[in-house]
Amino acid sequence: MNAAASYSRGRRVALGLALPLAALAAWEISARIGDVPSYLIAPSAILATTWEMALSGELWRHTGQSLLRALGGYAIGGAAGIAMGLLAGIARPVERFYDPIVSLTYPVPKIVVLPILIAWLGAGDASKIAVVTAAVFYPTFINSLYGAKGVNRLYVWSARNMGARPLAVFLKVILPAALPQVLTGLRIGLALAFIVTVAAEMQNSRGGLGFLVITAEDSLRFDLMYAAIVAAGVIGFAGDRLLVALRRRALAGQSVGKEGANA
Amino acid sequence: MNLAAAARFAARWYSVPLVLAVWEMLARTGAISKRLMPSLVEIATATWAALENGDLQFHAGISLGRAFGGYALAVVFGVLLGVAMARSRAFDALFEPIFSFGYPVPKIALYPIFIFVFGLGSLSKVMMIFLECLYPITVNAFYGMRAVDRVHVWAARNMGASERQVFWRVLLPGAAPSIFAGLRVALPISLIVVIITEMIGESRGLGYYISYASASFEYATAFAGVAAVAVMGFTLDRVLVWLRNRLIFWERGAAFIGGA
Repeated sequence: MNAAASYSRGRRVALGLALPLAALAAWEISARIGDVPSYLIAPSAILATTWEMALSGELWRHTGQSLLRALGGYAIGGAAGIAMGLLAGIARPVERFYDPIVSLTYPVPKIVVLPILIAWLGAGDASKIAVVTAAVFYPTFINSLYGAKGVNRLYVWSARNMGARPLAVFLKVILPAALPQVLTGLRIGLALAFIVTVAAEMQNSRGGLGFLVITAEDSLRFDLMYAAIVAAGVIGFAGDRLLVALRRRALAGQSVGKEGANA
Repeated sequence: MNLAAAARFAARWYSVPLVLAVWEMLARTGAISKRLMPSLVEIATATWAALENGDLQFHAGISLGRAFGGYALAVVFGVLLGVAMARSRAFDALFEPIFSFGYPVPKIALYPIFIFVFGLGSLSKVMMIFLECLYPITVNAFYGMRAVDRVHVWAARNMGASERQVFWRVLLPGAAPSIFAGLRVALPISLIVVIITEMIGESRGLGYYISYASASFEYATAFAGVAAVAVMGFTLDRVLVWLRNRLIFWERGAAFIGGA
């Protein structure tokens, strides 16, 4: 059943490009011939507008705003999630405290509280950062918790047996062993941070890529709308690649071959 | 319930009433403006009022219908596509890049285009939910099929199983835990997307209900809507876990929180 691996690399790349290229070509041609609704402007025109906006600096301003919100919430939510998750993983009372709260609220979409957060914190950056923080906290917390809990007891015992202090056990045994799963949580959290940021900006804000998408659509500037969509896609993708590269470096010495499934 | 069981129950759940008590105290003492942070009693009253005049059921029903429609479509197509990609080289080569490149991209940004193509009503929301849920479901079904132990396949073949039997009896059950993990990841996504799209432009559904109530400064009513979404999300997740444990009875798992 693993026959797929036997395709040559060139053939795989060609086939992989086939569908996207065919779709783009069909789109370009039908947009040029002109018998399509006005929102389907040609990909070449979208690229031109994106380039123009990038040069004029307008795209950078909105991208910067979105990045600030996404990464601000990501930093706070991720740090809190990892700290609390690891703590809960090694200290039973902390886990007891969090377990019912997290299991009750985990399947609830955090974005529902956005209108209320906007009422509390205003329509600026703070309300978006707060909702991103809440969304990122859960996957990082849960993965850090399971990472710390899953550490082989034998390692902990042998470290203790050889006279390691609790702090040394945590830093030298538990942290490295939990790292792969902590990083998995961080990766899920990053994707969520971008989704929630764009969604929150679409709902109510005065800047950012989500805002740009909605206002451009309202004023029928479809080229602008696509430029914003392209930018949102690029930062989401680039952020993920960056994290995967960091993960490879961080885990360089470890023989953990688990990647993907939970991406 | 005897005393020991009661004590264990309290030890397990004490933090929930604790958090609620802190909330109530903050609201009562006015540390945070009462208008912004209504007390639990006010929220309960607002919830009851919204249930009595039928608003909450009406909007919840609409949101649920949309979420379920998009989710069901994503389950059918996602599992089929994931299985096809795992079984056929051509499918794998054609679709794998779309899924690995598109995964981290926030697809919600495409929603305005969906509005133009599918209209302002339910269809654009259902299709958006379908697209967002398709990714985790397909990817998990694919990895699940790929990760089935080859020894099991060889053993089945060796004992004379036909290709069809190998698929239904070995590959699909082997991939089932991973498929369900994908379904569980996609479930809250379907709720996120339905709520956010209803907040952006709609006059029905819980997303609209919440943003309308808070825009008219009726925060207790807004919290009633939030509570309804919370109950929906929690209940649906429990149902999915229950289903998983019934269907995949041979594997203990799906710990209380998202361990799957």
